[in-house]
Amino acid sequence: MIYVLNIIVFAICVYTARHYWFTLNRLFGFQRHPYIDIDTADWPPVTVLVAAHNEEKVIANILEALMTVRYPADKILVIPVNDRSTDRTREIIDTFVENFPGRIRPFHRIGGKAGKAAALKDAMELVDTEVILIFDADYIPGAGLIKQLVAPFFDLEVGGVMGRVVPLNAGTNLLTRLLDLERAGGYQVDQQARMNLRLVPQHGGTVAGVRLSALREIGGWNENSLAEDTDLTYRLLLNGWKTVYQNRSECYEEVPEVWSVRVKQIMRWAKGHNQAMMTYGFRLLVGKHRATIRERIDGTLLLGVYAMAPITLVGWALALGVFYQGVAPLHGVIALLSLTAYAALGNLAAFFEIAAAARLDGTRKRISLLPFLILGFAVSIFSVSRAAVSQVTDLLTGAEFHWDKTERFRKVS
Amino acid sequence: MSPYLAVGALIFISSLMFILPLVPSLVELRSKSDALPLNVVQQNAGEIRHFADSFRSYIRALEPTMRHCSVSGSMARDILPDGEECVVLGAVDETMVFSLQQQDSAYAVVIAAVIDLIVPAGVTFSKDIYARGQFKGGENNNYRAILGEKDVHLGPSSHVIRWVHAVGKFTADLGCRLHGRISSDSLIRLQADCSFLRLNAPRIEIGRATENGAAPSPNSSLRGSRRPRRFWYDGDFEVKAGQVIPSDIVVRGNLRIRSGARICGSVKSANNIVLEDAVLVEGSLISARKMRIGHRCAVHGPVVAERELALATGVRCGTFEHPTTVSAPSIEVSEDVVVFGTLWARERGQVVTNL
Repeated sequence: MIYVLNIIVFAICVYTARHYWFTLNRLFGFQRHPYIDIDTADWPPVTVLVAAHNEEKVIANILEALMTVRYPADKILVIPVNDRSTDRTREIIDTFVENFPGRIRPFHRIGGKAGKAAALKDAMELVDTEVILIFDADYIPGAGLIKQLVAPFFDLEVGGVMGRVVPLNAGTNLLTRLLDLERAGGYQVDQQARMNLRLVPQHGGTVAGVRLSALREIGGWNENSLAEDTDLTYRLLLNGWKTVYQNRSECYEEVPEVWSVRVKQIMRWAKGHNQAMMTYGFRLLVGKHRATIRERIDGTLLLGVYAMAPITLVGWALALGVFYQGVAPLHGVIALLSLTAYAALGNLAAFFEIAAAARLDGTRKRISLLPFLILGFAVSIFSVSRAAVSQVTDLLTGAEFHWDKTERFRKVS
Repeated sequence: MSPYLAVGALIFISSLMFILPLVPSLVELRSKSDALPLNVVQQNAGEIRHFADSFRSYIRALEPTMRHCSVSGSMARDILPDGEECVVLGAVDETMVFSLQQQDSAYAVVIAAVIDLIVPAGVTFSKDIYARGQFKGGENNNYRAILGEKDVHLGPSSHVIRWVHAVGKFTADLGCRLHGRISSDSLIRLQADCSFLRLNAPRIEIGRATENGAAPSPNSSLRGSRRPRRFWYDGDFEVKAGQVIPSDIVVRGNLRIRSGARICGSVKSANNIVLEDAVLVEGSLISARKMRIGHRCAVHGPVVAERELALATGVRCGTFEHPTTVSAPSIEVSEDVVVFGTLWARERGQVVTNL
C-alpha cells in the first residue's frame, strides 16, 4: 500500500513540476508567436465548418460574424454542418444562404451516427480546400481571426492550429467566473507554454484549423472518438504533423452557466481523453514515429491528466489508510500529496497558472475569486473520477456512449 | 475560563480563520467589479492602418475649419471633440515657423495642414500630424504620428514613436528610427542605417532598388490547386548548387541551399536556414531559428524566422501581384532589397550597408 501511495505521490509531483515549469516559462521564457505576424500573403482558399446541433440560439451570430471577416470573399466558403437539428437551426441557416449567395454551402445532416466527429466526417464530402477551419456554433470569430488561423499553414509541418477561447458570459455567476479563470490558465499559460517549449499544444476542435492533406493522411475524422479534438492532436503527432497554438487568435465562446451542464461537459471530455490515452498512449511513448522525445513525454503526460483525478482520490484513500494503520511516518508524503493534488489535473489549470494568466491578461480583481476554485476542483475531481469509473463499467457491460450536447444559454437572436 | 466558552471561542476563531481568506472573494463575487469578458480585439486585429483610420475619423471634426483655412489661406486654432487643441494650417505661418526653428523646440498641439507642409529641423512634435498635402520633415525631428494624404518624407535621423501612414510614398532618409507602424498605399523607401519595426506597403525598398541582376522570378506558380509532395529529412540537409527540387522540403536539422538552386514548393527547417546566392523558393520559407537569405535570392511566399533573419542585397520577397510577409524578431536587411507587402521585425529591424 505504501509503495502504491509513493508512486501516486511521485506521479502527482511530476504534474506539479510540469505546471510550475509551464508557468515560469510563460512568465520569463522566450515566447513563440511565429505566425501571428503574417498579415500579408497570397491567402489560400479556406473552408469554415460550423458544427451545429440544435443551435437556434447562437447560429445566426456566428454566421453574421463569418460574413464580415477580413478574408478574400472569393477564397472563403462557410459550411454550416447542421447535424440532425430539430429546432429552427435549418431555417436560420437557409435564410443566410439566401442572403449571402455563393458564400455559404449548407450541409443538412438528417441521419447517421451521433456526435461532432461523425457529422464533420460526413461534411468532408463538400470540402476541397487544403485549409479547413472549425468552429462550434456558439463561437463569435473576430474580423482578423480567419487570417490568423490560416497563417500557420504556410508552415509545412503544421497539420493543426488552435486559437484561444475566451468566455463571453464570464460574469454571469460563480460557475462562469470560475470557468473564465480556468480557461485563462489553460490557454494563456498551459497551451502557450507548450507552444513555447515545442511540446504538444492541444487541438481544441473549435477556433481551430486542420490541413486537409494531413487529415486525409491520418484517415479523416474518427467518428468513434468521444473527443475528436484530442484524437486529432495525437493522430497528427504520430504522423509527423505539428499542432500549433495561437494565443493571440482569440474568440469568444459561451461557457456552461449551470453546474449540471458543466459536469456533463467535463465527463465527456474526460471519457474522450481517457479513450485517447488508451488508444495512443503506449504508441506515443515508445512507438516508431517522428515525435521528438519532449513531445513524447509531454504528450503522454497530457493524455494522463484526466486519469489523475481517480488516481488522486485513490491516493487520498491510501494516505488515510496508512495514517490510521500507523504503518510508517509518512507525514512528508501525505503533506506532499495534499499540497500537490490540485496541480495534478492538468487541464483544470492549477492556482499558480491561473494567477499568472490573470497577470498576463492584465486582469486584477477577478483573481480574488481564486479561493473558490477549490469548489470547481472538487466538482471536477469527482466528475472526472465518475466518468472514469463509468467508462470502465461501460467497457465491461458493452454499453454505448450517449452523446450529451452542451446546453446553450444565449437568448435567441 | 469555562470549557464551553473555550470551545465556543475555538469554533469561532477557526471559522474566522477559514472565512477570512474568502472575504475578498465574496466581495468580488457580489460587486462584480472585474466580471466583464476579457477584451478580445475583434475588429482591428493585425490591421496596420487601424491607428491611421481612427485618426482620420477623429480629425474629421475639423473639416469646416480646414475648408475655411484652405479657401482663405489662413491659419486657425480649433478644439477637437475630446478637448485637444489643434492648429489648422491653410498657409505657412511665419510665427509658427520661427518658433519651430528654435533649437530643440517642441510642438505640443495636433497639427492639421491642408497645404504642403515642410517642417524645419530639430523639432519634436509630441502630438499627431495630419497632412493633406505633401509632408517633408527636416533633420533630427521627432514625431509621434503622421497621417499624410500624399507623400511623406522624413529627414535624416528623424524618429517616429508610434505610426506613420502615407497614402502616397513614404521615404525616410539616412539613420531614421521608426519605432511603430509605418504604412503606405504605394511605396516605402528606407535609406541606410534606418531602423524599423513594422512596415507595410505594396512595395518596400531598402535603399535604391536596382533592376540589374535582380532576383530570379518564378516561371510557374504553385499557389494553384496542385500541392507538391512533402520531402522529409531528419538531419542536416543540403540542396546542391543549381539543383531543382520539385517538392516541399521539411528538414529537422540545418538546411543549406546552394547557389542557383530552385525549390518548386515551400521550405521548413526546425533549425537554421542558409540560402546562398540566386536561390529561388516558390513557396514559403520558414525557419525555427535563424535564417540568412543570400544575394539575389527570390522567395515567393511568407518568410518567417523565429529568431533572426538577414537579407542580403538584391533579395526580392513576394511580387506586386502576390504580396507577402517577411517576419522575424530581429531582421538585418541590406540595401537593394525589395519586399512586396509586409516587413515586420518584432523587436529590432535594421538597414545595414552590406551583408
